[in-house]
Amino acid sequence: MKRFLFPSLFFALLALSACEDKSPSAPASDLTITFKALYDGKPLEKYKLYGYSTYQVDFSRFNAFMANITLLNGTQELTLSDIEWVDFTPDSAPTDTAVDVSIVLKNVPDGNYTGIRLGYGVPPSLNAKQPKDFAPAHPLSRENEFWLGWGSYIFNKIEGRVDLNNNGVFDGGLIYHCGSDAVYREYMFDLPISVKPGAAEIVVEFDLKKLFVLNGAWLDLSNPYNHITSNDVNDVVIATKLMDNFGNATTVKQ
Amino acid sequence: MPLRWRATLFFVLALGAAVWQSCKKDAPEPGEPGIDLRGIAYDPKPYAVVKPDHFPQVPIPADNPLTIDGVQLGRRLFYDPILSGDSTQSCASCHLPQGSFTDNLAVSVGIDGIAGRRSAMSLLNIAYATNGLFWDGRSPNLEDQALRPVEDPIEMHNTWTNVVAKLKVHPTYPGLFRKAFGIQNTNEMTKELAAKAIAQFERILISSGTSKFDQYLQGNKDILDDDELDGKLMYFEEGGPVGLPDAQCFHCHGGLTLTGNQYFNNGLTEAATLNDFPDKGLGGFNGKMNDNGKFRSPTLRNIALTAPYMHDGRFQTLEQVIDHYSSHGKNSPNKDPLIPQVGYPIPGTSPLQYTELSANHKKALVKFLHTLTDTTFVNNPDIQNPFF
Repeated sequence: MKRFLFPSLFFALLALSACEDKSPSAPASDLTITFKALYDGKPLEKYKLYGYSTYQVDFSRFNAFMANITLLNGTQELTLSDIEWVDFTPDSAPTDTAVDVSIVLKNVPDGNYTGIRLGYGVPPSLNAKQPKDFAPAHPLSRENEFWLGWGSYIFNKIEGRVDLNNNGVFDGGLIYHCGSDAVYREYMFDLPISVKPGAAEIVVEFDLKKLFVLNGAWLDLSNPYNHITSNDVNDVVIATKLMDNFGNATTVKQ
Repeated sequence: MPLRWRATLFFVLALGAAVWQSCKKDAPEPGEPGIDLRGIAYDPKPYAVVKPDHFPQVPIPADNPLTIDGVQLGRRLFYDPILSGDSTQSCASCHLPQGSFTDNLAVSVGIDGIAGRRSAMSLLNIAYATNGLFWDGRSPNLEDQALRPVEDPIEMHNTWTNVVAKLKVHPTYPGLFRKAFGIQNTNEMTKELAAKAIAQFERILISSGTSKFDQYLQGNKDILDDDELDGKLMYFEEGGPVGLPDAQCFHCHGGLTLTGNQYFNNGLTEAATLNDFPDKGLGGFNGKMNDNGKFRSPTLRNIALTAPYMHDGRFQTLEQVIDHYSSHGKNSPNKDPLIPQVGYPIPGTSPLQYTELSANHKKALVKFLHTLTDTTFVNNPDIQNPFF
């Protein structure tokens, strides 16, 4: 009798195990999104003189909040991230070349998608909060990206200088710190995106040259009042122009 | 060799070894048994950092959580001159509470009377500094930073080997290390644990939230007088609509802690080329020429208590500091573009020039900077010298 008891129990357990409710989870992969900063199609370099209209500029800082990163599939949407902060020019970078910033989004359902939507800045629901509302590792805990006087996060920072006479002497600064609910923007990019094991990466490129060409014309930096954004009414107009143009300055690839 | 001679030789060698062993100094050597500390209770309790409600949460590294005993050990080490080569200087010698954890000297002076090249930075809200420490950013975190002054020949001029040896035979410290970190034996006392404890103490050096500016932020809008309010509007670039010039302060000294924790060339040094800075600052550390002449922007909280100012202590008063920015600084290839943009833009100038600030505007800015003074913090009994 004992000779049969153990094998019987073993097979009973095996059968029981096979009967467990194991609804198979949809296959999913990690999706890497790599953000890159360019000028005229090439990696941005801090302090390098770039041709701009008829004069020259350089750049010393470029960072941005990206929000509501959403994969699209026809009418279906899959939001992958509420907010990210991408800093292309950290002080810790080993060289003056802008660094690529990669984020890895876990467990994105495998499949074919038709596009992606990106938010530029901090959406109003999050912009109503403050750094104290977030854990230290959260992108919005960055208190030096919050403008106390304005009660808004600084959506992006683009800083540099202008050499109007092409003589190596800088005639003014470029200080574009855009912020406030009014200038938050979202743009959609239609492209086939495949998420599958081992090949799930999207590249998002921001080209500052394209950013400063508005409706086919350079933002006129010979007008010094176009050098800066702040909460001054005129400056908000400039910030609006830039944020309206960020989609045109963005290329998404897979 | 006959057996009798070999036995004699062995006896002599053994005796010699015993005599040599007995002549060694008291400090335990590596490999020695040390002192068993397991009789001392290890019962770590989390330390709840006190911060103003409107401040961001305090970043605490996962590998060095704050405990009550860890902070207390760090506080003792911070104030104990045992760390220096001649036992005359502690961390607090250059970071005194009454100076908002500065020494109010242009540059600090070490145990050998040698002046350093830079001013001691305030430690107020240093827990929030996550983009490098020291004026040149050469240290990535407080645990690393705390190790450095001990072995700097122009600061404490000691070695950690000496320090740890003294701590191991100290009547108090072994037990405090046990309580803070759960070590079982004095042999486990290390410089890394000492630095962790000091870092824990430094992370509690948080504003009280009772300065006039903090009260204003928390809703007491009447607490600032007209001058202070004008200064605040200029500081935060809010003054345009009411006709005030822009002082551009907050771009480098922003956020609740009033420091961007970033590095700038703020126009202190005339330099024809990037190689002409006598102190290269961040560039001297990271080797990037375009970072030469850049220094970390310090917090402006308690700035009225931390004179003299700048990395080399060149300015004695806040008025001198404001004069510097108002005059748009000295020229150099990588001067921050905001420095020349302090003041009102002068219409019709090309390139656009800016006015200097008026005497009244300067006075308003200085008065606003005084609203950042937090005497509750500097008098907080929890952060004072425990040996008094």
